[in-house]
Amino acid sequence: MSSAHAKTPKTPTAPARKPSGFPLGWYRYRNYTIFAATCIPMAIAAVELLLGVAALGKGEEAWTAWLATLSAPGLRALNAICLYFAIYFAFRFGWVGRKIAAGRIGPISKPPLPLSILGIAPLGGFVTLWLIVFVILGGFI
Amino acid sequence: MQLIRKLEPIWWLLFGAGGFIAAFFLPGLIIGVLLLGPSELMSSGLSYSRAHALASSPVGRLFLIAVLTLVFWHCAHHLRHFMLDLFGHAVAPIAAYGAYTLALFGTIATVSAVLAL
Repeated sequence: MSSAHAKTPKTPTAPARKPSGFPLGWYRYRNYTIFAATCIPMAIAAVELLLGVAALGKGEEAWTAWLATLSAPGLRALNAICLYFAIYFAFRFGWVGRKIAAGRIGPISKPPLPLSILGIAPLGGFVTLWLIVFVILGGFI
Repeated sequence: MQLIRKLEPIWWLLFGAGGFIAAFFLPGLIIGVLLLGPSELMSSGLSYSRAHALASSPVGRLFLIAVLTLVFWHCAHHLRHFMLDLFGHAVAPIAAYGAYTLALFGTIATVSAVLAL
């Protein structure tokens, strides 16, 4: 192998370090950390729903007993926290989504509506979907 | 870690799809089932016969598998990166293998529970 193709030595760099103030010292870090932490309550909610599906498969008695456990105060509080973080996740997910533009060639045309409205539109869509799920589950239609 | 890095597009795909699914459906399910499930309001909607009929229909099965498994994979990927942010790259292997193994268990458990309906 000629010297032109010799492997170049790795550029020495300083070891990676966390930015000062991370994870909660600055509001942007705080928002980022809370968004990342939403994975824990959302996973807890998914596990609870999975237990519900398993109870449903075991018969009426198991299903009724599982529904009854949900009314325990501790579990109610946990589920309220899960809901808070799931809504926080959805809103931040939708809010950040408005900043993502599809790749295109040529000049960017002016959006038909102000960005603040374009940001609110998906959030309204999310709430509508949650209501639809709720209405179907409750048998209100 | 090489395998984890090689499969990065798959983790990302599952993470993104799970994010959409969670934003679309998870709050509705938490409100309708976990919070209001035991209340009088949902007593007829979530009666055993109706809940079983809803969940065991082909659309219901597909919905449950899609929502629960994708939320597990989404949370696993988010948890992996959350651990990296908090504890640095020293925990990279345990964060990746630990989180994705949990998601795999969640997927297997979900598919078995849905097929048992």
